[in-house]
Amino acid sequence: GPLICVPELLPCERLFGFVKMAALLELFCWKGSWGLPSVDSDSLVVLAYARFTGAPLKIHKISNPWRSPTGSLPALKTKEEGSFSHPSKIIIHLRKQKYNADYDLSAKEGADTLAFISLLEEKLVPALIYTLWIDSKNYVEVTRRWYAENISFPLNFFLPSRMQHQQLERVRLMRGDGALEAGEEAEKELYRDAQECMNLLSQRLSSNKFFFGDSPSSLDAYVFGHLVPLLKIKLPNSRLQQHLKALDNLSNFCTNILSLYFPSEGQEGVSRPASSSQEGSDFDHEPYKRRKQLLSVLVAVAAMLSYALLSGIVAIEHVQEEGPARGAASIGPAQEEEED
Amino acid sequence: MSLAAEAFVSQIAAAEPWPQNATLYQPLREDQILLSDCASSLAVQAYLRMCGLPVRVCCRANAEYMSPSGKVPFIHVGNQVVSELGPIVQFTKAKGHSLSDGLDDVQRAEMKAYMELVNNMLLTAELYIQWCDDTTASEITRQRYSSPYSWPLNHILAYQKQWEVRRKMNAIGWAGKGLEQVYEDVSQCCQALSQRLGTQPFFFNKQPTELDALVFGHLFTILTTRLTTDELSERIKSCSNLLSFCRRIEQTYFEEDKDSQSAGSQYSRGPSLF
Amino acid sequence: MGTVHARSLDPLPMQGPELGVQADDMDLGEPEHEPQQEVLENKDVVVQHVHIDGLGRTKEDILTYEIADVFQAKNLIDVMKKSHDARQRLLRLGIFRQVEVVIDTSEGEDALPNGLDVTFEVKELRRLTGSYNTMVGNNEGSMVLGLKLPNIFGRAEKLTFQFSYGTKETSYGLSFFKPQAGHFERNFSVNIYKVTGQFPWSSLRETDRGISTEFSFPIWKTNHTVKWEGVWRELSCLARTASFAVREESGHSLKSSLSHAMVIDTRNSAILPKKGALLKVNQELAGYTGGDASFLKEDFEIQVNRRLFWDSVLSASLWGGMLLPIGDKPTSIADRFYLGGPTSVRGFSMYSIGPQSEGDYLGGEAYWAGGIHLYTPLPFRPGRGGFGDLFRTHFFLNAGNLCNLNYGEGPRAHLSRLAECIRWSYGAGIVLRLGNIARLELNYCIPMGVQSGDRICDGVQFGAGIRFL
Repeated sequence: GPLICVPELLPCERLFGFVKMAALLELFCWKGSWGLPSVDSDSLVVLAYARFTGAPLKIHKISNPWRSPTGSLPALKTKEEGSFSHPSKIIIHLRKQKYNADYDLSAKEGADTLAFISLLEEKLVPALIYTLWIDSKNYVEVTRRWYAENISFPLNFFLPSRMQHQQLERVRLMRGDGALEAGEEAEKELYRDAQECMNLLSQRLSSNKFFFGDSPSSLDAYVFGHLVPLLKIKLPNSRLQQHLKALDNLSNFCTNILSLYFPSEGQEGVSRPASSSQEGSDFDHEPYKRRKQLLSVLVAVAAMLSYALLSGIVAIEHVQEEGPARGAASIGPAQEEEED
Repeated sequence: MSLAAEAFVSQIAAAEPWPQNATLYQPLREDQILLSDCASSLAVQAYLRMCGLPVRVCCRANAEYMSPSGKVPFIHVGNQVVSELGPIVQFTKAKGHSLSDGLDDVQRAEMKAYMELVNNMLLTAELYIQWCDDTTASEITRQRYSSPYSWPLNHILAYQKQWEVRRKMNAIGWAGKGLEQVYEDVSQCCQALSQRLGTQPFFFNKQPTELDALVFGHLFTILTTRLTTDELSERIKSCSNLLSFCRRIEQTYFEEDKDSQSAGSQYSRGPSLF
Repeated sequence: MGTVHARSLDPLPMQGPELGVQADDMDLGEPEHEPQQEVLENKDVVVQHVHIDGLGRTKEDILTYEIADVFQAKNLIDVMKKSHDARQRLLRLGIFRQVEVVIDTSEGEDALPNGLDVTFEVKELRRLTGSYNTMVGNNEGSMVLGLKLPNIFGRAEKLTFQFSYGTKETSYGLSFFKPQAGHFERNFSVNIYKVTGQFPWSSLRETDRGISTEFSFPIWKTNHTVKWEGVWRELSCLARTASFAVREESGHSLKSSLSHAMVIDTRNSAILPKKGALLKVNQELAGYTGGDASFLKEDFEIQVNRRLFWDSVLSASLWGGMLLPIGDKPTSIADRFYLGGPTSVRGFSMYSIGPQSEGDYLGGEAYWAGGIHLYTPLPFRPGRGGFGDLFRTHFFLNAGNLCNLNYGEGPRAHLSRLAECIRWSYGAGIVLRLGNIARLELNYCIPMGVQSGDRICDGVQFGAGIRFL
């Protein structure tokens, strides 16, 4: 039978001797916000798949991609085969470890899974990237704001803009349109595809609980991972969001998975309502204020140092040094740990 | 063009019937066209034949640059220029020609999803093998791609294109894949298509749809094109129902003008499966 | 010690301010004669030494050609004239910021009683000079950065780099120039460039990347330039709505061409001439040295100016050209001729005459254009002798035709086709000279001979141009 474990059951697994295997797998992903277990679609796909299969992973929710073993997030670290970053590769690896959410599917359903994941990647992903990273208002007010606040200093100064640049490049290459820019033209084209894709998914799902009957499969993980950020993140330009909300079965599908498989996040979301809508409050500007102070100190120190260097007061010796080894992760009672 | 103007133009386009002088543009058939472009072009031709819309095939060395999206093939109908299968399907639909009207919602969703499967896996695999496999790129692809140009422009353009495709592979996460992994993906895709097709004559019962045209275009081209190895076509040949599917479409839609082919080449297809 | 500063002979620097009155405008007489020169004139002198002071990286051997004449002088006036000429020749090399001439009696053991020493005190240009400009055109702004390394190897070679960074396009050019020692007009240059142009009248964008080498030399009264150019041209549509004819021309091509240009110019000024004539013949042969484009292109320009009463000038010009494709390939839109605009056939919009498709002008393979102008000074001559001399009023009559030729028809058919459907217009306006390179025109035009499809500009037309009919 399929290995579908609801999180509540997870501690029991240790009794069955999965602990040994679990010790070998570590998942690094973006940390969550807005009531989501992670803010990043790919991380969400992998997290959902892991929850569906009950794969006992040690999950590191971090906000610094440089601390991932592959340099990007999400990443699965295994003892035998190194680390992978692509969600499909992570899922294949989990499948090899017998954590297979698609065990029950017929061959035709397996084919459908492949087809709908392709549909998602070709039609929905570019629009999602557009709405979060390329639409200027959304990027400045939500995406950059979140990443700037959560990535640690001093990376938060350049990492968000670098990520935005990469995402723009990615959409350009995916669409084969090197001149794609934020604007009405591109938005219209991308959103038309994405809305059609959502309609098709909604039609395929119809009134089912999951795409293939009563148990979730990898397709459910993909659809959930890509749609739920759109549902939960409050964006100033929300055309896609409104379209998704209008498709009742699809938005219910997302909230269902969220409450069934990520109950703790849901509560967190409730206890911190509208965390992104406190725009005017002083509290929100606190990090910027601190950053400004830090920046001025940094500039002053840099100026002094460069003066000292230039005038020959200080000389620098170049010494190669190994970075401090990251402490081996120990398995505590908690499944997840928040690292900042 | 403003949105209002575009809507207006498409209304005009819808009102006009399909003209007899509709033309499809693709790169030079003998020396230049690459596997992926040939497949896309054949898919569009198959689709138009299924719709019963006549089109004249015109080979141009600069077809890629003539296309408004930079992709081939494209059709020139009246004073409209439309490129790639998806937009062409929409365009013919606006003129009242559609193959997928008989499908229900779920079937239509599945049809679109499988079309994206072909684009996402088969087309990408074709591009990967053409440009990222060093043997194929150096022995076949760069040479063919740049054949209309003289030295040193041929090298510049070929490497420029290769660079662009490799960046795309990087962006969609295919750069780390090995050739074996790509063949494996093709197998997986073909098995999925084979499963979906089952024993039916077409993907959705007795009537062909744009999905059938797209699958035919890619599979037929892979089966009839010589590459450095037969690996790619072998992967398809392992699915016997896909093979007979290709034969069936070739017979039904491309057979009738086999005789008239000598008079004037109406369609762009080299060898046959028979 | 009887030192004469020859500098006073010529107060005009080599490169005057752009908008200033140019030397060729004033009918420069002989240098003013001072009374005591009468006395000195007859006295025989010998130039014993010529010194050049202030040389840094400049090699002396190229300068000896320029100053050799000074030794030929036989009397003091002659010395002054020849030194003045030598100074002009030195400045023309473009390697000195300043040249002063000091003439003194010879000193030392071998000094003759009537011996003179001539000393050129020069100041070299800096090794590196930079400039930047901002330019604003229609819907586009750009910043132009220029770097110049004059006299880079000490023999008047010049290396220039220009980079233009625009809101839409970037262009750059790197060129190396080397004159032959002693014959500045015989020179050689190599250019590498990338230029992007947008041509809205054809809905076309063209990006050229190329290398060219050219060799210029004078023969008798003519100036010749022989040039080889290899250019990679990328054409694309400016908008999705571009006509299909332009779409068909999109793509890459390589042009490798040999060209020869001959110029005879006896005019006193390039922009607002009062007398003299110009003949320019240009021929280009593409395809024999490689590349995709093969054609033969012939092009000429004639202009004759005649001074009439009251400072008015009658000017007549004629242009013509023909482009013959070699082989089966039709000619490219980038090689064909265009006609029309505020400084060619006035009364028509920029390049908007002749064959077109869906509103995009495709150019023609043969053309001719002619014009007759009557230039007069501004009425009541305000600012005479100064600013007012930059302006002229003119009355003009322009005509021309542009068409494609079917090369099976023979020369007679070609001539008759060019004589059919002539476009012509007349009008009057004001011309402003911009430096010695371009002019601005504000005209009132009445187009008369018009063919359907031409885009006319009836009434006031304004424009600038380097080349004008």
